[in-house]
Amino acid sequence: MSRLKAVYLAVALLSAISMAQSPVEQLPAGAMQEKAAAACTSCHEARIIVQQRLSKAAWTKEVDKMTKWGAEVDPKDRDALIDYLSANFSPDQSAYIAPKSAVQNPNRRGR
Amino acid sequence: MTSRREFLKSASAAALAAGVVHPLLSWAKDAPAINVSGEDGMIVRSYRFFDLETPLEFMTEWITPVNHFYVRNHMFEPAKITLPTWKLTIGGEVEKPLTLTFADLQKIPVHSIVNTMECAGNGRSFQSPKVPGVQWGKGAVGNAKFAGPSLKSVLEKAGVKDTGKHVMFRGLDQVPGKVPPFIRSIPIEKAMDADTLIATRMNGAPLTQHHGFPARIMTPGWAGAASCKWVTEIQVLAKPFEGNFMNPGYRLPNSPVKPGEAVKPEETHSIIGLTVKSVIAFPNDGAKLKPGTQVIKGVAWAGEAEITKVEVSTDGGASWNATQLGKDEAKYAWRLWSYAWKPAKSGDYVILSRATDSQGRVQPSVAEWNPSGYLYNAYDQVKVYVQA
Repeated sequence: MSRLKAVYLAVALLSAISMAQSPVEQLPAGAMQEKAAAACTSCHEARIIVQQRLSKAAWTKEVDKMTKWGAEVDPKDRDALIDYLSANFSPDQSAYIAPKSAVQNPNRRGR
Repeated sequence: MTSRREFLKSASAAALAAGVVHPLLSWAKDAPAINVSGEDGMIVRSYRFFDLETPLEFMTEWITPVNHFYVRNHMFEPAKITLPTWKLTIGGEVEKPLTLTFADLQKIPVHSIVNTMECAGNGRSFQSPKVPGVQWGKGAVGNAKFAGPSLKSVLEKAGVKDTGKHVMFRGLDQVPGKVPPFIRSIPIEKAMDADTLIATRMNGAPLTQHHGFPARIMTPGWAGAASCKWVTEIQVLAKPFEGNFMNPGYRLPNSPVKPGEAVKPEETHSIIGLTVKSVIAFPNDGAKLKPGTQVIKGVAWAGEAEITKVEVSTDGGASWNATQLGKDEAKYAWRLWSYAWKPAKSGDYVILSRATDSQGRVQPSVAEWNPSGYLYNAYDQVKVYVQA
């Protein structure tokens, strides 16, 4: 087993035991990391954010729509949150790669 | 009334019980697989809300097994519903409002259809410029047999008044925050079509939780959003339901727009039927192939229309070849297709697929861009390398 795999396995086991890993850790470091997690991830997981590749104009629309839909964003933080999302999840970032669910019955696997 | 926090706590507990492991660094490459009971080798677009995509390798069978069928949720799934407590109300513009139990529903004759259901956002990730939403690849689509009473038979019991023009559905999914509920309506003509169902079964078994147990609407040939899961309320309305998921949600520009351009809400219309589309299930993009004959294969569908032909190009679109359509067919179901190809020499090839339907629609080389990335249907394309 590679070291990386061993680390992943350990993390997976720890996460399972100690409950889900914190949503904060699923978002990249930055001044708004914790506030983004608090505002966004009570309704949906961070994965919804990290798969987007949007312009600043599009992130502005999203943040305003989600605030209307109940995301708790202090008006003082709005611009910084938009900057954080635009900087980390802009169209020039590399492609997002989604995980898969485990294969439970290998015999049924198509091709 | 459960508070949001309490609800999340119970949802997390349910996730733990289901053996779900949230991977650290979920945006990183080689994220570990997530254990999801009853769902097999699916692409996890989102775990909360639950959105699973079917990998292309599972699209070589006419009927998609339930554990390989895509899942799209906008909200939290309801807690597991028990049959004795479930009921369905029918009201609005009807002569006689009704409340049906599951036992009542089971007394109504069953009708079956085979339907290819596709999420309106399937292929959104290929739109340029990028648009917000679940970043679906090619697999938010599947073909299954659905069975249950026709919606018409239930509406006729209630007696639709002349004023009834649209039919809306409410499901039991749980809405977080101040998010508008996922409620949509379909025109009365489609609701009264004999093939529109209150489906209780999928591929010969009761619906699973993720697919709307115990009953869901099945509006064949239309985008998946017209097929409300965990349905509990049907209202006949005098006009289309007015809510976020009718407007601005699930609408297309009336005429083509420049990619990236804003569209005025009054210049849009609701998405109804699916468009013409094919995808290549084999070979996969980036595959290295051995020399000799290769069978290129995939699926093609066209909503309420029929697929009349699928063509394949192995030279990046310079020339096109007819494919063999599979023998399995049904009114709203996709067709399997295949093409035996013998590459002349080793090297890189670009393989394209292009479907045509009975309405004369042809899959375009470039999909029309729209602000929400709906109904993406450009030619499918894979690049392969044939080894010497």
